[in-house]
Amino acid sequence: MRICIIGFGAVGQGVARVISMKRDKVREKYGLDMELVAVTDSTGAAVSEEGLDPDLLLETKKKTGKVSEYPEHGVSDISGLEVMNEVEYDCLVEVTPTNIEDGEPARTHILAAFRAGKDVVTSNKGPLALSYSELIAEAESNSVQFKFEASVGGAMPILNFAHETLAGCDINSVFGILNGTTNFILSRMAKEGSSYEQTLNEAQQLGIAETNPAQDVDGIDAACKVVILANSILGRDVSFKDVEINGISKITPEAIYLAKKEGYLIKLIGEVSNEALEVSPRLVREGSPFAVGGTLNVATLKTDLAEDVTVVGKGAGSVETASAILSDIISVWKSRR
Amino acid sequence: MRVNLVLELLDVPGKLLEALEPIGKLGANIVAVIHQRDVKTERGTIPVHVTIEGDKETLEMVLKSMEDLGIQIMEVDGVMRKEKITTVLIGNIVEKNLKETMEILSGIEGVKVADLDLKMSDHPEQSASKIIVEADYGKKRDVLKKIKEIGSSKGFLVINEV
Ligand SMILES: NC(=O)c1ccc[n+]([C@@H]2O[C@H](COP(=O)([O-])OP(=O)(O)OC[C@H]3O[C@@H](n4cnc5c(N)ncnc54)[C@H](OP(=O)(O)O)[C@@H]3O)[C@@H](O)[C@H]2O)c1
Repeated sequence: MRICIIGFGAVGQGVARVISMKRDKVREKYGLDMELVAVTDSTGAAVSEEGLDPDLLLETKKKTGKVSEYPEHGVSDISGLEVMNEVEYDCLVEVTPTNIEDGEPARTHILAAFRAGKDVVTSNKGPLALSYSELIAEAESNSVQFKFEASVGGAMPILNFAHETLAGCDINSVFGILNGTTNFILSRMAKEGSSYEQTLNEAQQLGIAETNPAQDVDGIDAACKVVILANSILGRDVSFKDVEINGISKITPEAIYLAKKEGYLIKLIGEVSNEALEVSPRLVREGSPFAVGGTLNVATLKTDLAEDVTVVGKGAGSVETASAILSDIISVWKSRR
Repeated sequence: MRVNLVLELLDVPGKLLEALEPIGKLGANIVAVIHQRDVKTERGTIPVHVTIEGDKETLEMVLKSMEDLGIQIMEVDGVMRKEKITTVLIGNIVEKNLKETMEILSGIEGVKVADLDLKMSDHPEQSASKIIVEADYGKKRDVLKKIKEIGSSKGFLVINEV
């Protein structure tokens, strides 16, 4: 399988790393030969029909900051779309930054791949949160595979888990902690009694929160995941604008104190049900499945046959997120045989 | 016939006797009483499991008489009768606001504000209050909706249970 990676940041590099780590095993176990034929970042690309060396790619990016510095096969000033038009590939891995205004450039990349008859695996929430049904329809009409497990909860299995492992169950709702940064901040505030500003600052120093933390702390990132879950698991036709969003920036130590006195913690919870599409701070019982700390993500699926099923996992991280992308690549391969 | 009740009582002397009084008075028997002291709430209430015996009419009268006395019957034979709903509000909450909030909530049929707690902050807008409501089973959605309405009309951030 010839793979083209568009975007070579934390997740893109994670994908290169897991391909390097798992290539032989995957070939042996599934008969799948993963070949990296093109990799791009914002400055250019590395392209080779014979296949790029993932380790050399990682080294080049680390040393120079540009994949276009890749020996012999580097091309500078070429866009992702141009690369996709010129290179022969089978599966696009779209891992450019999430854009919640218009979903670009990912949206254009994904649609172009569909129309060229290519399968797509992505971790990018933007286009899914804005135009889910359009993307699915386009994938279907071109008879291609479209997988995005990594877009919700990183390494925490949820979409494929709901569709495959829980196949046959009706899933009535999903409640979850869908953002690791806010979970870290709220968990620290509960433990240390510290203020929101202080704790956000600490999270930024640790590299857990970004310099501009709005996407996380204002609940935007979690809301994108709510939209994806609602469409994919509950079969609802909704988009980002349908989600009621409240972030965590107004949470105070006083509120956490009062909640604790009654045996509760405050967590930023995404609710996906037929009554509500919502991201808001909620009270969860200490000792309940939602009482996980650190940057972990968790989700409880309420089903008709199996009752409540809860999954927990790392919501972010380079190799962790790439693990979900690898599993999607393998499943695309299986369905093609 | 027998019926199993779960009452929520303040864990202070005299409260249990007071709750059990209608049973003997109306001619029913007490079969068993179990205190669950290990699950005491911050407000000092504990669940008390009581099994009583008598004919149907007598038992019905006992339940009614307990309710008239203001005793919280949470469960009857494993079926929930009351639910406890906890909410935390954040914002500059002054006494007037709290009183109004309590009145609105208590105005819903089958709903009673069971506890109220305040934690003031040096920055008034960061103050928090906690409201615990006891509502007839099935009223939860109405109550949560009402609390949300109150929150948005007064500019409070409402933190409801999952
Ligand atoms: N990080 C996680 O743990 C995680 C988890 C789940 C989902 N996701 C999602 O996965 C996606 C990637 O995340 P990330 O953390 O890897 O982001 P990132 O570290 O910011 O990397 C983004 C990459 O995309 C490149 N890029 C930007 N604009 C481009 C364009 N127009 N064409 C081609 N490449 C472009 C950047 O180039 P330069 O290197 O030249 O700047 C960079 O290599 C995002 O949509 C994110 O929401 C991330």
